[in-house]
This record gives sequence, structure tokens and C-alpha cells, in this order.
Amino acid sequence: MTTGPTSTIPGRTPTDGEWRPLHPLTPFVRGWKVVAAALVVVGQQRGGDLAQRGLPSRTEALITLAAIAGLAVLAGVYALLAWRRARYRVDADVLQLRTGVLFRQERQAPLDRLQAVDVVRPLLARFFGLAELSLEVAGSGDSSIRLSLLREADAQALRSTLLARAAGLAYEGDVAPEAPEHEVLTVPVARTVESLLRNGSTLVGLLLLVGTVVAAVVLGSPAPLVGLLPIGFTVISVVWTRFTGGFGFRVATSPDGVRLHHGLLTTRSQTVPPGRVQAVRMRQPLLWRGRDWWRVEVNVAGYGGGRSQDQGAVEENLLLTVGTRAEALMVVGLALPELAAAADIGLDVVAAGLTGSGPQGGFTSSPRGARWLDPIGWRRHGVLVTRAVLLARRGVLVRELDLVPHARTQSLALLQGPLQRRLGLASFAVHSTRGPVRPSVQHLPADVAATLLHQQAERAMSARADSTHDGRWMMGR
Amino acid sequence: MRSPGDPMVPDDVAWSAVSPRLALGRRIVACGSLLVLAVAVVVIAGVVGSPVAFLGALVPLALAGWVWWLIGRQVAAIAYAERDDDLLVRRGVMFRSLAVVPYGRMQFVDVEAGPLDRALGIARVQLHTAAARSDASIPGLAPDQAATLRDRLARRGEARLAGL
Repeated sequence: MTTGPTSTIPGRTPTDGEWRPLHPLTPFVRGWKVVAAALVVVGQQRGGDLAQRGLPSRTEALITLAAIAGLAVLAGVYALLAWRRARYRVDADVLQLRTGVLFRQERQAPLDRLQAVDVVRPLLARFFGLAELSLEVAGSGDSSIRLSLLREADAQALRSTLLARAAGLAYEGDVAPEAPEHEVLTVPVARTVESLLRNGSTLVGLLLLVGTVVAAVVLGSPAPLVGLLPIGFTVISVVWTRFTGGFGFRVATSPDGVRLHHGLLTTRSQTVPPGRVQAVRMRQPLLWRGRDWWRVEVNVAGYGGGRSQDQGAVEENLLLTVGTRAEALMVVGLALPELAAAADIGLDVVAAGLTGSGPQGGFTSSPRGARWLDPIGWRRHGVLVTRAVLLARRGVLVRELDLVPHARTQSLALLQGPLQRRLGLASFAVHSTRGPVRPSVQHLPADVAATLLHQQAERAMSARADSTHDGRWMMGR
Repeated sequence: MRSPGDPMVPDDVAWSAVSPRLALGRRIVACGSLLVLAVAVVVIAGVVGSPVAFLGALVPLALAGWVWWLIGRQVAAIAYAERDDDLLVRRGVMFRSLAVVPYGRMQFVDVEAGPLDRALGIARVQLHTAAARSDASIPGLAPDQAATLRDRLARRGEARLAGL
């Protein structure tokens, strides 16, 4: 790679199998991030001083400005070098990306292992009509390949081509045509806002805010407000992140798979091909019960890479931010076509699992002995196995229902503590790929749990043997 | 499929125990640090010159004895069984677990051995699936036993592997 970068040659497509550079504006857009971060740090450090000591002296201001300018130059030079190095290439079977200024890296993603393709448009990139294409392959840690940044049209063309090649679809020319998209639901902005207000931490934050404002007025001093600033800032930033991330959430279907579009400032279009959803969780926080709203989270191999297990659902793991029960069930049906396809139990039983307790809907639930370990929720712990999917039900205050297709079961475990042993109980866990969904059923009768463990291991084997959604999903259709 | 006995220890499969040398290794690490602590207490008691303080050394010693006993029980509770289509691993005395890893879900298999493990002649076989949570590892195998187990598991996994 000794030759300099060549700009996009007109008439050539981004998928012709040649090594191609990223968009020339990339260093500017990415370098700017460093400067913005530096400004935020300076703002936080100096903001407090400003209130206490007044305006900084001239030399101090000049030094700060010079430091920021120096950092900007450094970041710009580094981003420029990084851009000069970066090359990507797409051929029939793989996507390759070469990066690295000091430490070179060449990543290769086999397209038949593709798990999801996202097109992300950060705010600044949107001004220039640029987008980032991120391709997820299953791997431990952060295994995704990010092409940042490309022309928006190139990103779109790449996405449809990658998906078509991954699917084994035949098409004319170098670029696959964009798959037709059929929109199935949009989350209204008003509902997004209300769902954020119907949230424990938001309400606590608001109460705190009102309380301190009252205290400040009564005391006639701004001291309580200053004390509140950090908490208020955290609450506002969390709510703001959720609002902008979930803004305008749209779900659509296409032959490529489920399409999700969302975001206010940074917009994200996700495509999850069929059979790539490893597990689904339907969740209803206490305050959403009045509206019967549900949130749907998914595990997709590769999503959430580089984050720890316990951080919960992140933006890309959301299949539906907030929806009515009917909408949530429909989205789950899209994500797990097994549910409807194989003359399975259908969505009625899923609906029963959302709110039912005890043996309702055919679930196997905890015996009475479990009330010593979970006096409130013991009736809700339950499991139901259908032809294609395992359903795990739990939670009285926050209702949860996990669904795992047998074909996506990785490994299984039985756990038993000393109290459970005395009561003849055991907990059953299904291990799924990294993500917010960690399916488990607490406090089943020990022999039932053991039988389930062995049967489920067999089902996982046989389901995998006749699963049609693996690898190139359009082949043979 | 179900066995009449303890559901956490199915008795219709052939369980293999792990080497007692694993217990020795764990005891060296755990009890060794407690002994160092006991010696430190004795030294401090000597400097202070209080006879009561010498009794303080009994606490880490008693703890070391208990840990010695506990590790023996824990290591004795670790066992694995190779079935036709999956591997069973059980462990734990108070908090027991029984894991099933289908061969078809194994992405790769590692054999690991630290310096102490090598001195004692044991190794650990670590199974990796696409799930971060499936912690299926078999510690305390003889190195050649570990290598043959790895090869056997890898061969079975390859025969049955189908995507994710």
C-alpha cells in the first residue's frame, strides 16, 4: 500500500472486488470528535472555576486555546494517516478491511457468517451525506467490521450487495438492487416521550428536581441546586440518550430480514437477516402496565461487542423500544418466524406467557415450596417448550418473557443452591450469545428441571439438524 | 432419560473424576497465602510482645484447615461425562451446577496449564461456544489425557458443527 489514495473513480461500484479507500472527508469528520471531546473536558474542568473565580486570565485562556488547537492538529494528522491506510474490498465471499497507522490490522469477514448489517449516520456525517457501514460477524469481543465513512449511496449499495451475497442470491451486475421494504410499524414520538416519563428513575429524578427547586426557593439560596447538578445531569443525559436513540423507531420487513430504523441525531438502520436472532426478551416495567406497553430486546451474535455482559440492553439490541402488546407480539413473530411457521403454538400462547401465572397457558411453574425462596414472584416462574421455541416466564413487578429457538440454544445448565436442594428445587438456564437476554427459569422441581435439561439438549441437536435458516438463507428458495 | 437418583448427578452416564493433584495445587495457593498471613501475625505479635496477639495467628491457621478440607470436597465434586451428542460437566458442593454442552455448539477447545499446573502435571480443558456464559471447563486433567480429550471433542464438534 505505497501508492497514495485514489479518489472514487466514477462509473465504478464499491463492490467490484478492488481495494478501495474510505471517503476523503472521513479524517475531518472523525478528527472533529476528538476536539469536541476535548472541549467537553475543558468545559467540565473549567466550568466550575468560572462560577467561583470569574473569567480566567488572558494567559490562561491563551494556553487552553493553544492546547486545544494543538490537540486538533494532532487528531487531524492522525485521522488523515488512518484514512490513508484504510482500504476495504468486497468480493463474492468476504469483506476485508485494512487499517492501522502503527499497528496494522487486516480483518476479514466471511459473508456466510454475516449476522447483521447496520448503516449508521452520525450527526456530522449526515451534513456531508456520509454514513458508516457496520457488519457484524459472530465473534468474541468486538468483532464487527466498521467502514467509516462512505458516501451514503455507496453504503446503501454495499449493504444490499453484502446481504444478497450472504443470502446466496443471484443478481445482475456488480451491485445488488435494494431489497423492497415493507413497513410494519412506527413508534409515535408521543409514546416514546410518555414511556420515558413512565420510568422509575426519571420520576425519582423529577421529584428530586422539584424538591431541590422548592428547597432553593424556601432557603433563598442556590446551594441545593448546585448540589443537584451532577445527578440532574446524569438523569437528563440518560433520558436524552434513550430519547434520541429510540426516536422515530420504525420496524420494516424485507427479503433481507427485519429492518429497524431509529435515531434523532445519529440515525441507525439495522438489518437482521432471518435466523440471526438468538433470543428474544419481552419486558414490561411496572409503570408501563397501565398502558400495556412492552419492550422487545434481542440477542444477535456480534451486537453489543466490546461491552460487558451486565450493561443490559443497548440501542442496537432493541427490536422495539415501546409498543402495545399486539405490536410487540407481531415484532416477536417477525424475529422468530419459527413460532408461526412450523404449525407451532402461535402467538396466543406467547401472549398467555406475558401475564399468566401458575400453570396458565400450559406452563410448567414452580411448586409451592418455592414460596420460601421467592414469596412474591414464585407463581410467575415458569417454562413452556413448544416445537421450535422455549419460553421462560418470570417477574411480578417487572414482567419478563424470554424466547429461545431450540436451534439457537448454545449450552444449558442446571443450578442448585443449598436451600433449593432442601426444597427439591433447581434452576434451569439456557446460554445464549452475548446480549441483554439471559434466559433462565428459577425454582423448578429438581426432577422436572433435570428432564428438561436432557430433553432440551436433544431438541437443540435435532432442531439444528433440520434448521433451514443457516448460512445462505435464500439458497434453494 | 431421567434417572431415579439425584437429578443433579444423573447416574446413567459414566462420570470421570479429575485428578486429586488439582486439589493439591489449589491447596498450595489458598493455604499458602493463609500461612503467610499467620506468619505475619506471629511476627507482629513478637514485635508488640503481647502473648494474646499470638493467639491471633490461630485464626488464619484454622481458616487454612477449613479451606484444606473444603477444596478436597470441591475437587471431588468436579466430574465430566462424554455422552454421544454432548458433554456433561458437574461441579460444586453447596452450590451445585450441571452443564450440558452439545458437541455441535463448540466453536473451539483450549488446553491451558499455568506454571504450578505444569509442575503438578495437570491441565485444564476449556470449551468455547458462541455463548459467553457457557463456562464449560474441566480442570485437573493429566496433560496427555487433556490433549486426547481435546482432540476427541474437537473431532466430534467438527462432525456436528452447523453455524451458530
